[in-house]
Amino acid sequence: MPGATLRELETAVVAEAEAGRMQRSLALLAGLTSGLSGLEVGYMHYRAGFGQRIMWTPIVMTQALQAAGIAAAIQPKLARTLLPAVSALTAVDCATGWFFHIRGIARKPGGWRLIVPNLAMGPPLFAPLLLGISAYLGILAARLQPEFSSASVPAGLRESIERHLCLATGIAALCSGGEALYSHHKNNFRYWVQWTPIAVAPALAAAAFARRGPRWLLPALSVAAMADGAAGFGYHARGILRRPGGHKHLIYNILYGPPVLAPLLFAACGFFGLLATALRGK
Amino acid sequence: MKCYREEEAVDYCIVGVGSAGAVLLQRLARAGFKVVGLEAGPFWDTERDWVSDEAGSHQLYWTDLRITGGSDPIALGENNSGRGVGGGSVHWAAFVPRLHPSDFRTYTEDGVGCDWPISYKDLKPYYELIEREMPAAGPAWFTWGDPHGYPYGPHPMGGVGDTLVRGCTKLGIRVCAGGPVAILSGSRADRPHCIYRGFCIQGCKVGAKQSTLISHVPDAIAHGAEIRDRSMVARIHLGPNRRVNAVTYFDRDGREHVQRARAIIVCGYAIETPRLLFNSACPGFEQGLANSSGLLGHYLMVQAGNVVAGRFPDLVRLYKAPPAHAMTEEFYETDPKRDFARGFAVQTVGPLPIAFAKQMAKAKGAWGWGLREVMMDYNHWSTLGVLGEILPAYDNKIELAEEKDDFGLPVAHVTFSLHENDHKMIRFAVKKVEEILLAAGAKEVVEEQRYAHLVGAARMGTRPENSIVDGFCRTHDIANLFICDGSVFPTQGSANPGLTIQALAARTADYLNQQGEAIFTSSHVSREKPPVRRDLSPPVTFGSGVPRV
Repeated sequence: MPGATLRELETAVVAEAEAGRMQRSLALLAGLTSGLSGLEVGYMHYRAGFGQRIMWTPIVMTQALQAAGIAAAIQPKLARTLLPAVSALTAVDCATGWFFHIRGIARKPGGWRLIVPNLAMGPPLFAPLLLGISAYLGILAARLQPEFSSASVPAGLRESIERHLCLATGIAALCSGGEALYSHHKNNFRYWVQWTPIAVAPALAAAAFARRGPRWLLPALSVAAMADGAAGFGYHARGILRRPGGHKHLIYNILYGPPVLAPLLFAACGFFGLLATALRGK
Repeated sequence: MKCYREEEAVDYCIVGVGSAGAVLLQRLARAGFKVVGLEAGPFWDTERDWVSDEAGSHQLYWTDLRITGGSDPIALGENNSGRGVGGGSVHWAAFVPRLHPSDFRTYTEDGVGCDWPISYKDLKPYYELIEREMPAAGPAWFTWGDPHGYPYGPHPMGGVGDTLVRGCTKLGIRVCAGGPVAILSGSRADRPHCIYRGFCIQGCKVGAKQSTLISHVPDAIAHGAEIRDRSMVARIHLGPNRRVNAVTYFDRDGREHVQRARAIIVCGYAIETPRLLFNSACPGFEQGLANSSGLLGHYLMVQAGNVVAGRFPDLVRLYKAPPAHAMTEEFYETDPKRDFARGFAVQTVGPLPIAFAKQMAKAKGAWGWGLREVMMDYNHWSTLGVLGEILPAYDNKIELAEEKDDFGLPVAHVTFSLHENDHKMIRFAVKKVEEILLAAGAKEVVEEQRYAHLVGAARMGTRPENSIVDGFCRTHDIANLFICDGSVFPTQGSANPGLTIQALAARTADYLNQQGEAIFTSSHVSREKPPVRRDLSPPVTFGSGVPRV
């Protein structure tokens, strides 16, 4: 829309979303969050020495999903073919990863009887599910129409996608909040600000799951999650630079410092919430 | 486990199933040879025999009678010799840096020590192979020597590593965090990853730390090797045609046995190897077997292992994390600006309370209540170790003493003295480590003088006049007698020798495999370089880890 002001563009985009035409945005979101998760998986699995060959699969799948998401945003035809196929494969990979992570925790000395230390020290329980959310969004995007096309989306389908997006928001918030809970517990909640994602995450999930309640609640909490994620990213980056060796040992300190990308994934949950709000319409 | 009859001549009899012996045993067994390994110590049951306790782990060391002397005598036992299947690798801290290319040419490059008959390039493929078999964890890019990466990611650091990194960063010294160390940072096959309790040198009950007992011995047994533990080899027999043909050994009950073999490999480490060869003296080799050069026992080396401890106001908790988890090799090579040749590395060490108390008794002269007061501060101390290259000297040697052990065999008499270059290097190194600790924020710094590692005494070389073995660890004098352990090092660098010992063993095994029957039947010595055999590695070697940078 050449010549349009930012305000006009925003109005147009919101109108498109309300009409259920948001395939490009959703595909792009699926791809980018997958890429972000892929970086996180990459360095976490490297830290564990890629002790099992299967640990390479999410690295491959996240990059594939990122490429498919971007390709689908450019070419609507791919959004209905390549994107759901890659997303489905990624979802299967995530389910497999979740099984192995659960097994990893169970295998640690004391197994489930020592659940608190083993959750904190074992493979991250919710991480594969978080990646699964990106795959889920990819599958959802395939059902919608691209922005600024003349096609219309049936109201029933739009509502159904909106419900799915709410579900994705809720699950992602719980998973991300869960990760924050045991990671911050591992750090003994040294700063009060570490409690904020623990508070925001369940509230956002409740707002996303609830079919009733004030209409402003979900967007408000979504914005809060995004702000919290952005602040967390700043704190985590600061934590990395404060480690011995600071920026001179950047890669090592990213590897063992606070997980720098995790707050961004939390912020992404907030963005899912905003999309769901937009799809809900007036 | 397969059992061979004594009267049946096996292909190879390996004396000492330690770092090198177990690697040889595993590879030769996999290649289809009949191999017997004789080990003076026990075959450890890691679950029952090892404890996560300092005082309860003394049986891991070779603490039999040995006489030590010279103007700077070496303390023998705890931090140099192992006893039992796995040898010293059972109680090593598992630091696995490679030697630098310059280490193989110290005489040519710096005019000190002597050149190896082999180059870094010869050993490099075996370094890579053994680093995968262990596997070694470390940074993706290790910048010193011949730069390379490690197959497993680096470890998280403990407080000691933090102080080293903080101090080095402040002083602008490059430092490596989280390795290189042969401890699993992620699980592999049936071995779990490290859980950072700090009991590495007590054997590591967890199974995360590599010892040849857990990385190579199971595969050796699965392929038909026999290991006879608690079997103390007394002498090697020389048969006709200047070829060895049997060993005499005492079993656990003191009974004497003779095992016949078509070739013998001695892997007894730097003290027991020369001792056995001296004890095997016979007509034609009155000074000791394979000792026509008269150099057997000479050029014994240890590394300077001075520990510098700094007290910090904040908690360090030096027992958490493996003792070996960060290092710098910035001062490794000869620097014309310094007044000594060669150099040193600085590494983390994490003494547990008993070791720390001993260090403090020596370093501070602390005793009685004073020592108790120091020990109350245990968690506030950080300890960094120098690993300095002491140059080979003819008068540092091993001989036989008058005293005898329980089997009636003369024990080793070790003579060791430091020389001018060594003194200068140690002084400089200790000062540098003190600077690092002070830069990291230490309020008090003390130093304990000690040594680490033992190598040399049966050096390798190009000619029978200047060495005991050739570049493939074959003795110059006897075509079917090999020595493969730390004793063959002509110089030692400032790197922990464990990785190099295992890499040399892997290379020797490839040579033996390439030569095949010729080793047993011919006295012709081939100098042909063998192809690198990747198919002889233990089964899980290539199933994990990251591609090398």
